[in-house]
Amino acid sequence: MENEKAFTENDSLAIISKMIKTAQQNFGDGSFYYIFWGWMVFIAAVANYVLLMTSYSYPTITWAILMPLGGIISGIYSYRHERGQKVTTYTDEIMRYVVIAFLGSLFTTLLMMPKLGAATYPIVLLIYAIWLFVSGGAIKFKPLVIGGIINWVAAVVCFYVNYEQQLLVISLAVLTGYIIPGYLLKARYKKQHAIN
Amino acid sequence: MFKDLDPLLHSQLRLSVISLLVGVKEAEFSFLKEKTGATAGNLSVQITKLSDAGYIEVTKSFRDNYPLTTCKITAKGLKAFEQYVNALKNYIHFNQSGS
Repeated sequence: MENEKAFTENDSLAIISKMIKTAQQNFGDGSFYYIFWGWMVFIAAVANYVLLMTSYSYPTITWAILMPLGGIISGIYSYRHERGQKVTTYTDEIMRYVVIAFLGSLFTTLLMMPKLGAATYPIVLLIYAIWLFVSGGAIKFKPLVIGGIINWVAAVVCFYVNYEQQLLVISLAVLTGYIIPGYLLKARYKKQHAIN
Repeated sequence: MFKDLDPLLHSQLRLSVISLLVGVKEAEFSFLKEKTGATAGNLSVQITKLSDAGYIEVTKSFRDNYPLTTCKITAKGLKAFEQYVNALKNYIHFNQSGS
């Protein structure tokens, strides 16, 4: 590639523009977390609702099983994925802090569940909304931003309904905020890779 | 009158490397090789030149017992790139108004 004789100023401009564009297009496939956690929360919420309706003794058992399991699986995925990452963008760097802030706030809220009572799920949805809105904006992906707005609305709704109905609102919020945008994000990644 | 173009950056491969690094926090050698299409030997030589000039920071480590080279643009490199782009603009402007 070292061909300096025929290298003009216009070639310089072309290279700068091409390379900057190449680096910017280097979005990784971040859809895993949205799809995976979307389904985990969706299944846990729906199963919790069904178990409540069938008067099962431990209706919240799905959360107790699926959430720690999800944490282990996504921890392994994250470790493997980051090891294979050849480039770290500034967006990656910011997102790392956003993820830590998101998980910190989420776990704090869940720990405070006995004090928060019926306000727990609406607050969880508010935290989801911040995560979806910020991450969608950072990777310039509108369906996630819209998912964030839906979760804000769902949080408001959750403040006014009973516990059983909150579970149904949560399942709808993760379906529209996580699962659908997650699959759309995966499709964008595949399309982008097919072009490159 | 236009400013002189930095000879260290006025090279196809070195300019490609710097332009790639401007947009990211850090990149592995294999990423730069893939995106520039250069051979490993040539890329290695140009990276050393950029590193010796203080334009980039090269970190050598190991992953799964294989050597891993990571490159990152420095503040000096960023300034040199900005000056190069400004000089380029002046040069093109000078040529256009001269013609």
